[in-house]
Amino acid sequence: MHISEGILSAPALTVGFAGTAVLAAATMRNLDMEEVPKISVITAVFFITSLIKVPLGPASIHLILNGLVGVVLGWRAFPAIMLGIILQAIIFGHGGVTVIGINSLMLGGGGLIAYLVWQQRHRFAFKKREFVFGALAGALATISSGIVLAIALVTTGEAFHAIAATVLAAHLPIMLIEAAVVGACAEFLQKVKPDILAGQQAVKKAG
Amino acid sequence: MALDIDRYAHTASPLQRWDPRVKIFSMGLLILSIALLKTIPMAVSALLLALVILGVSALPRHFLVHGLSFVLVFLIPFFLIMPFTYPGEAAFSILGLPFAWEGLRLASLIFLKALAIVMITFAIFGSSRFDISMLALQHLKCPKVVVQMLLFTYRYTFVFLDEMRRMHTSMRARGFVARTDLKTLRIFGHFIGTLLVRSFERTERVYKAMLSKGYQGELHLLVTFQSAGSDYIKAFVIISIAMIIMYGDLGGGLHTAEQGWY
Repeated sequence: MHISEGILSAPALTVGFAGTAVLAAATMRNLDMEEVPKISVITAVFFITSLIKVPLGPASIHLILNGLVGVVLGWRAFPAIMLGIILQAIIFGHGGVTVIGINSLMLGGGGLIAYLVWQQRHRFAFKKREFVFGALAGALATISSGIVLAIALVTTGEAFHAIAATVLAAHLPIMLIEAAVVGACAEFLQKVKPDILAGQQAVKKAG
Repeated sequence: MALDIDRYAHTASPLQRWDPRVKIFSMGLLILSIALLKTIPMAVSALLLALVILGVSALPRHFLVHGLSFVLVFLIPFFLIMPFTYPGEAAFSILGLPFAWEGLRLASLIFLKALAIVMITFAIFGSSRFDISMLALQHLKCPKVVVQMLLFTYRYTFVFLDEMRRMHTSMRARGFVARTDLKTLRIFGHFIGTLLVRSFERTERVYKAMLSKGYQGELHLLVTFQSAGSDYIKAFVIISIAMIIMYGDLGGGLHTAEQGWY
């Protein structure tokens, strides 16, 4: 889900860019040169997997997967998602160049929330832990993006209230699908290549 | 899916000859001024201007149509929702839904502006090689590490897209059919996980190879930017148009009965 070009007012666009600049600066602190390729890989995968269509009854939806980026990259999810959005704006014209700020804030913020949720898994120990927390991270990332999108639309004007409600309602089925996919993916990565997941070091130290 | 935006960057045109730094800066101002338009006549002129710019860019028509068709899909919902949900007086009803002209006007405004901006973006990035555009961004004070990551991501996108297509083919060969059920979603999750692991390991190899060849966080291109008088003339023209558009929208006689949105 993106906010399209030409809807938001200048103050909203400015808030988007300012917020993104602050969050990008905060989440890119002490960025090591060796992390650059890893972030780029995840961004590229995030970028192309957004092309995957999941059938939903007669229609189909595209995956968002910002929760998965949070699960894999941790705080660096924000710059990764921001880059994905810049590329989408340049290459597809999805979203648009003046809404790069607000879209990064929306989806990247969801990625950060996903990471916060994902980290809570250390407090628990049960068999399906990675699946459950991956699913929660995926779901919360999606719905928080939907909420930010709805807020941006509602503050734009009364004319957009109905669209905001529609958009928020549309995020509910997407949320369930994202939860299932991100959960399955997190469980898979835990089995196959656990060191690709974010926040794994803490586990080793603790136990 | 046309992902390589710079496929026709070799096409000679005034845009292609324009110094990318000056081009991105002045076109950026133009885009910003279009994004803030509030009146239909100015949005129509912006769209016409975008058509002229695309015409000047001499990019092949099928390339543009293909790229723009994605945008249209994104914008059509506005036409379907906004006229029927605009608060206030309805002109008439269709199937019991109140239809408001103001809603249609807003939807058209969004549509015109978005299309104009996407077309101009196409003209900017379609007329220079992608790595050169990125280098130009770096000259415009975009952080070096962001430029590096954009370049990496752009390169990897094509590699991974091929990988994804191969994996998808082999899945279908083994009888996979996407349905609306949990099993499909689980398979998608594993599919994405596999793609991540494969891409990650490939990149580690590539990165080591790059390090051994002396990579130090910067890409060196055999490109030097040179801006001449003609570059600044083009910039002057574009920025003047941006100012005229803004003025026509704000101060001109078109600013009647346009309240209530912002």
